[in-house]
Amino acid sequence: MKLLSSIKKELILAARSFYFYIEIGFALIMLAVLLFAVPEHSGARSEEYLYLDLPPAAAKVLIDETLDEDIDGRPQETELKAEGAVYKALLFQTDERDIFLMESEAAAETMTKHKKAIGAVITMDKGELHYKYFLQGYESKRLKNLLLVLHAQDFDTLETRMNEQKVINVDSGHIPLNDRENAIPPLMAFSGSLMSMFIMAAYVSLDRQEGVIKAFAVTASPVSKYLISKMFVLMLTSVISGLIVVAPLMGTKINYALLLLLLLTTGVFASMLGLLTASFFQNITKAFGIIFLPMVLFMLPAIAYYIPGWDPVWVKLIPSYPMLQGFKEIISNGDAMYVLLVSAGFLAAGFVLFLITNNRFRKTLTV
Amino acid sequence: MISVKGLYHSYSKDDKYAVKNVSFEIPKGEIFGFLGPSGAGKSTTQGILTGLLSLQKGDVSVAGYDIKQIKQEMFNKIGMSFEQSNVYSKLTALENLKFYSRLFDVPTRDPKELIELVGLRGKENIRVGEFSKGMKHRLTFARSMINNPEMWFLDEPTTGLDPAIAANIKDIIREQNNKGITVFLTTHNMYIADELCDRVAFIIDGEIKLIDSPKNLKLRYGKRIVDVEYIDGSAKKKGSFSTVEQKDRDALASILHSKEILTMHTKEATLEEIFIKVTGRGLGVSEAS
Ligand SMILES: Nc1ncnc2c1ncn2[C@@H]1O[C@H](COP(=O)(O)OP(=O)(O)OP(=O)(O)O)[C@@H](O)[C@H]1O
Ligand SMILES: [Mg+2]
Repeated sequence: MKLLSSIKKELILAARSFYFYIEIGFALIMLAVLLFAVPEHSGARSEEYLYLDLPPAAAKVLIDETLDEDIDGRPQETELKAEGAVYKALLFQTDERDIFLMESEAAAETMTKHKKAIGAVITMDKGELHYKYFLQGYESKRLKNLLLVLHAQDFDTLETRMNEQKVINVDSGHIPLNDRENAIPPLMAFSGSLMSMFIMAAYVSLDRQEGVIKAFAVTASPVSKYLISKMFVLMLTSVISGLIVVAPLMGTKINYALLLLLLLTTGVFASMLGLLTASFFQNITKAFGIIFLPMVLFMLPAIAYYIPGWDPVWVKLIPSYPMLQGFKEIISNGDAMYVLLVSAGFLAAGFVLFLITNNRFRKTLTV
Repeated sequence: MISVKGLYHSYSKDDKYAVKNVSFEIPKGEIFGFLGPSGAGKSTTQGILTGLLSLQKGDVSVAGYDIKQIKQEMFNKIGMSFEQSNVYSKLTALENLKFYSRLFDVPTRDPKELIELVGLRGKENIRVGEFSKGMKHRLTFARSMINNPEMWFLDEPTTGLDPAIAANIKDIIREQNNKGITVFLTTHNMYIADELCDRVAFIIDGEIKLIDSPKNLKLRYGKRIVDVEYIDGSAKKKGSFSTVEQKDRDALASILHSKEILTMHTKEATLEEIFIKVTGRGLGVSEAS
């Protein structure tokens, strides 16, 4: 009853304070940036221009095979413009590539040149397929060799070989994320940890300035209920802002139970950290001076996330690192166990912080 | 209701005591006044008694609870009105009191009724951020009554209020006291202390100099004070002299003998004058002067 009443009051206070709207607004801005400023694929998709100089039956086999990979299973008729001419083409879209089937060898060559893409002409001679590639000239020797090897064998052998080949994705083993999805985890870690911490410190400093903590201290309700009710509001805002970003972008593709779990547990941790920080300061200005430091520290893992070559061990010890990785696992439908472990860790750490903070708050209420 | 023995408190945790060797008892149903100049240690004492400050040294019991091991349930019996009003400015007056009323395990008073009691009728649904200082102070005062406390701590309940409202507050305190509530009253307002308090303690530099009832103090000092205005050299001077204490009688005699007297009259001593007499110090900020 006391707790419920405190939570209700905190919700009213949050709804009437601008920090709440800052966090929601921030989430909306992040969503807008991700939707409109970050393309799903920035250069990761490749384009190929092909001309099939084949008998219709053979061409049909190849086209059918490509269609199997096509996203909607249907080619689209398009017109391409290059160097003043217009070329008709059939577009096949697979997960990673746009394949344009051109009507002439010249067209394939022009488009390859114009788009700095890959082009090829496939012909048939004595029942064997022959490939002629148009390259830009700067491709590595490796690629060229690869292309040679690819066609030195006859097609049947190659196909059996390829089927035997085990493909190991060296990156993560998960569904690869597109650029937009890839940007979600650091943002979530940011709003989940930094924002909660900052806003919690702001809320508590305000309460302190108004002296209402002292008023609370002389009631029959323990200070812990005050702290918990504050934390609850922060967790709620963290969940709302997290969902604002994730739901429109990921739709039904991910496990929302895991997402909620991680949002809530990181919310506990971060808000407790904010509370603890705030407990050392009498007013908001002083608190902000120092809260800046952990904020910068917490941003380092996001930098490591974007710079693949820079991933020192000590960065992994910063709490926002597992936070970020946890969100990444969720977004990529990866390791649920990892998410559970990280959540448990944050919950435990949050609890310890809570005990310390509770103790501190009882001691530092001055007349 | 309250028993304090050998209470010390140092904010810096060294021998710079804000409160030293303070001892007093408050029986149930009494209004006990805590008087002293700014910085004397009044709020500090009250802070310790209400558990806001930690008990460093001494024995304190309040409403039957030992302050060494504060139990949260103790606050069901305690009301506290703060020196600096501390209400949520983002909540309305009514919301403030409603929220507060749910933090106790005992029957609470109707928030609306309390708001009306302190003259804030019609302001229930206004956010406290829009209140004047005095209005906030009255709301803080009203809030301290919400749990029908047996032990009521009032830190400067009339500060910053105009005389009419201060008188209203005084009436409320008397009324509550008539219901048997014990009051610990910290104030600068000597008239209010004089009218309300069964006993007063004079505290200076963290030490209690005297505890007695205003009535006894007046019996001892009343009607025996002579106010004199005289010329000393070229300056006009004023002095108050007791007609019973030898030191004062001598001083008065010497003035009468050698200085030019402008005015002279006897009057009943106010509590403030008695305070000055006893402690040798003024009360500083005083609404009474
Ligand atoms: N939070 C604090 N930290 C350090 N010293 C303090 C603190 N609060 C009060 N003091 C010191 O303790 C002494 C007693 O202060 P206290 O607030 O108890 O005085 P007071 O009698 O209530 O004065 P006032 O009439 O101005 O309210 C003062 O010297 C003051 O400087
Ligand atoms: Mg004071």
